[in-house]
This record gives sequence, C-alpha cells and structure tokens, in this order.
Amino acid sequence: MPDLLALVVQQSVNGVYLGCLYVMVALGLTLIYGVLNQINFAHADFVTVGAFAAFFVATRFATRMLGLPDTGGYLLSLVAALGAGAVLGVLVNAAVFAPLRRRGSDELRPLIATIGVSVLLENGQLALFGPIPYQFDSPLARETIRLGPIFFSAQSVLVVAVAVAAIAALYGFMRFTFLGKALRAVAQDRETAGLMGINPNLVIALTIVIASALAGVAGALLGPVVVLTPFTGASLIVKAFAIVIIGGFGNMEGTIIAGLAVGIIEAFTVQYLGSGLIDLVVFAMLLTMLVVRPTGLIAERKEENV
Amino acid sequence: MKHASISVVALAFSTVLTAAPFAVQAQDKVVRVGVLMPISGPGSYFGVMGKEGIDLALEQVAKANLNGYRLQVQYEDSACSPLQATNTVKRVLDQFKPHIVVGEECSDASLAIAPILEQAKVVQLNAGSVTMKLTESGYKYVFRIFPNAEQQSLPLAKVAYEKLGARTAVILHEKTNAGIDNAEGFEKPFVAMGGKVLAKIDFGRDVNDFTAIATRIASLGKVDVLPTFALEGQQVRLSQALAQAKVVKGGGGSGVQMGSIWLPWGYDTKAGPAAIGYVRIVQFDPTENRKIVQDFIKAYRAKYGADKTPTHINAHAYDTILLIAEAVRRGAKDSESIREQFSKLKDFEVTTGRITFDAKGQNSDLSVVHFVETQKDLSWKGLDWR
Repeated sequence: MPDLLALVVQQSVNGVYLGCLYVMVALGLTLIYGVLNQINFAHADFVTVGAFAAFFVATRFATRMLGLPDTGGYLLSLVAALGAGAVLGVLVNAAVFAPLRRRGSDELRPLIATIGVSVLLENGQLALFGPIPYQFDSPLARETIRLGPIFFSAQSVLVVAVAVAAIAALYGFMRFTFLGKALRAVAQDRETAGLMGINPNLVIALTIVIASALAGVAGALLGPVVVLTPFTGASLIVKAFAIVIIGGFGNMEGTIIAGLAVGIIEAFTVQYLGSGLIDLVVFAMLLTMLVVRPTGLIAERKEENV
Repeated sequence: MKHASISVVALAFSTVLTAAPFAVQAQDKVVRVGVLMPISGPGSYFGVMGKEGIDLALEQVAKANLNGYRLQVQYEDSACSPLQATNTVKRVLDQFKPHIVVGEECSDASLAIAPILEQAKVVQLNAGSVTMKLTESGYKYVFRIFPNAEQQSLPLAKVAYEKLGARTAVILHEKTNAGIDNAEGFEKPFVAMGGKVLAKIDFGRDVNDFTAIATRIASLGKVDVLPTFALEGQQVRLSQALAQAKVVKGGGGSGVQMGSIWLPWGYDTKAGPAAIGYVRIVQFDPTENRKIVQDFIKAYRAKYGADKTPTHINAHAYDTILLIAEAVRRGAKDSESIREQFSKLKDFEVTTGRITFDAKGQNSDLSVVHFVETQKDLSWKGLDWR
C-alpha cells in the first residue's frame, strides 16, 4: 500500500475509533435532551462512575475474587459498569429530578441541579478514590492487531463493536418496543402521551436510566484508554456537548454522524495541522454549524429525534 | 458616673481581649508557612503527595531544636490554577500572614503568585515548577529547589546528541508554560549542536488518546529521540501509543523516548513494556545510597505503608520543610531573615540533592541529577551521564 494511502487509512481508522468513543459518551446526553428537553451536566460524571466501577470489578473482583482471566474480567466489568450507570440513574432521578418534576419547576432548576449532581459526584469520587491517576489496563488495550501497515488495538475493535451494538439496540428499542414508542410519544408531547395512558414519569425515569447505563458502558470503554481520575469525564464533556450540538441537540442519528466526523477530523487535524489545533478546528465547526445550520446536521421534527 | 465606670471597665476589658492574642503570639515563637498546592482538580495528586512529604518532615522537625521556634503550616488549595492561586495567596497573606509560602506545583500558578508575594515581601519557595520565568523575572523573594527547564532540557539535548548519537528528534509537550519552556530548552541546544527537530507536537491536558499523534510521528520517517514533557497520566498513554505505532524501542521501533524530572517514580510499571528503553533524567532516585534518602524512604514507609515508595513530589515537598527548618535553626525568624539565610545557604543536603541558591534564587547544584534507562523488567538502570 502506498505510504500516503496507508497514512490516510490509518488516520481514518484512528478517527473512527475515537469517534465511536465520543458517540458512546454523547448518546446518553442527546437521549436525555431529546425526551426531557434538559441538558445533563452531570453526564460526564456518570461516565467516570462507570469507569471506576469497571476498574474495581476488573482488577479487584473478577480477577482476584472470581479468578477470571484478565479478558473475562474486563468483559464482565463492562456489564458491571452498565449496571452501575443504571443504578446511579435510578438514584439521581429519584433523589433529584423526580422531586423537581413533581414540583413543576421551571427549566432552570433541573439544569442547575445537574451541575450540583456533577460537583457532588466529582468530589465524592475524589474523596473515595483520591486524585492519583489509576492505571486501568485492559488486556485488549495491550494487544495490537496489524493488517499490513495498518495497526489498531483489540480495545479499539471492542469500542467500535460495543458502539455499533449499543446504537443498534437503542434503535431497535425505540422503533420496535412499546416502551420505546412510549418514550418517543413523551418526547413529542408529554401531556398528550399521559392522556393516552402512558406514565410520563416512568418513561422519563427509564430514559434517565438508559442514558446513565450508556454513560456507564462508555466509562468502561474509556477507562483503559484515558487517564483515570475523578475528573476523567469532565475532560470529555465539552467535546461531547460540541458533538451533540453539531449533530442537532436531541437527534440520535445526528449525534452518531457528528461523533464520527469529529473523531475523523481530529485525527487528520493532528496529521496535517497539529494536535494543538484540535479544539480550534472542532469549535470552529461548532460555531459554523450554529451560524449556518443552528438545528444541527440532521434537523427533523422533534418527535423524530429520538 | 455609673455609666462612666461601666465604660472604663468595658474599655479595659476590650483592651485586654484585643491585646491577648498578640501577647500569646509574642510568647509563642512561630514561623508561619503557607502551603499552596493543588488539592482539587486534575493536578490534585501533586497536593496529596506534597502534603505527605510535608507532614512527614514536620513530624521530624518538631523534634529538632529550632532556637525555640516551631513551624506552623497552613495548607491551601490553589488547584494548579493561576486564578485560584492568586485569590488564595491574597487571602492567605491577609489572614494567616505567612513568613514563607511553599508552592505552587504548576508553573502557570507559580508565576501568578510570584509578583503578589514579591510585593508583600514574603518568600516563595518553589519545589515543582520548571518555567524559566519564575527565577528569570528579577524577583528577590523567589527561591526554587526544582531544576528549571534549562537545567532539565539542556542535559537531555546533550545526552541525546552526544551519548545516544541522535540527529533527529520529535518534541512532544503539553501546552503550558512548563511544557513550552522545556521544549524550547531542548530544541535550541539540540539544533545548535547539529540536530534536526522534525516536529514539535503540543497538546492540551485534556487530550487522552494519542494514537493519531503516534501515527503522525510514524509517518515522519526515522526519529532518533522523542523528548516528552507531560504529566504522568498522559505520558503513560503517550508511551503506549508510540509503542503501538512501533516508533519507540518499547514497541520494537528504534526511537528513544526521553523524559524529564516531572515523571514520578512508578511511571515505568504503569506504562508496562511500552516504557522499555525510556531514558530519563531524575533527581530523586529511591535506589540512591545516600543516608538521607534511605532514611527518608524508611520513615515514609513507616508512616504511609511498607509497600509504598516515595516519588520526587513527596521528596521535594519534604525537602522544603527541611530547608525552612535549617534557615530557622540558623537564626531566621521572619520573611526577611529567611530570605537572607536562603541566600547564604551553601551545599545543604536534602533528599533531592544539595541546595545552593544562585543570585536568582535557583538551586544551582545538580550533582545528584543523573540519567536512568528503563530495562526489560521495568527496573531502572543508572546511566553514568550527569
């Protein structure tokens, strides 16, 4: 393969992998906005909780207590992170979001509440786990697959596979299940959905749980890739917001396309412009999108978003 | 008359109350040490390790005779942030009235507090920042025991060119005052010696995935050395990405990754096989045989756990207290006399070497600074390059 072609393919592979990581983080964010019309600033911290849950399950519980091999332990940690995310979603909804909804508060209070949850989770994790970076090594991250001049880690294959599976599962759930249809109905018109016999509170709780579970899995996938500290999620959330805005706030297809696009653009920015310009390029894209097409890449009617 | 009597009594009482703390303060001979460290935020591991070192040193110093003085320490969170450090140091100056301030760790924050302390005529003792500007700006009250960017990067450039025979380099650095100064500190002498810098790649502290950067470096052709200036977490991921791209020895390539004193002990085991062949400059070496080093490690393990090994961050923080205690032992009792004693100090032994401040307040003694190479079993092999 000619050098230039190999380089383009390699950076595309890097970009798709990075894009899938971004998509995993951004999906929950866009799902909550699509249904609740609410921005969740604590989403990044749900990702971090997932990463820590996966870390402790993989390195302490699965391998030491259950005696599983490293790979088995890490795969089990994905499930644990999904569970941890879901449980956290249930708790936060019950303790914070549901009471606010019951009181019929304005849009600002839930928004501020998510900031409060974020600070609480961040500092709670800081108190529990300390600030020294954890070394979360998955056996898959150490394994390099080489196809001629192209290389990628087994971890990146897993990231892409889980992202595809999560997207497919979410799509199937939304389109073909009663609960999925109920969720879309609530997104379209909460009051009318209630009149049709749907319990909007239950559907909203379900949305938060799904989004949180997705964040948990994203954390488990990110853990072996990033520097794991209580602030890991915070370093990604700004990028995730940019992706959600570029894709069209609340639009899942748009988020997926934007996530992949940002990943690929980042990889080629590093190659041809310099890594120091990544944020400049991504946020220039964001501003351009806000000016030229404020509704995002895919602008559909709101009910079609989720 | 009765009212007048009450007023006199009240006045006398309030005078006694107001004067009491001063009387106590006058009797209690104290040197107040403000410690500004990142206790929150991504750099908070500096603060945790720094506090460990300071607490340990304070325990030991409390047993020593400091001319009847004791050290009173107040920790403050400056978060590696210039803004927070500025606000914190102003508050500390106003309320705690320190004679000396230890900190900050991050160059940007250290630079932010330097002019404020200079104006207040309070000594700043720095043990973790590398930016040249800190001791090159003409401050009279700034002292630094940590080697500056030039002291770290110049030996790296010389070793790269003369010992490793490197002629091409790719410099990787974080986008901070520290990273930029270190990168320039390497580039200038390396190019002056005849080397060629193929690329200077900077990145923010929020970058987590280095695969694209490693791919770009692999596309640049043969790279002999890759001096890298980043915090430990990013350094680990960077090494792993470079190994994956077969750029460095740890991944079967030929490039030698080089690092600075920034990296704490333990990086090699965290990076795994990707760290093999990594050449770095170190100041605090736990394998060093000097008595003060081994005594420190013993005391550290007794206090914090037998399985733990102190890092250079622990050691530098520990040394700041030893240094202040020594100044007090020699007669210092306030900021001015601490500054005077620091200026006179020659060849004072601490765990990170020996301290002799130059006219700019920079420790000029680099006698223990040396190079190590990470072996296949991830242990360090000392290199006879100083």
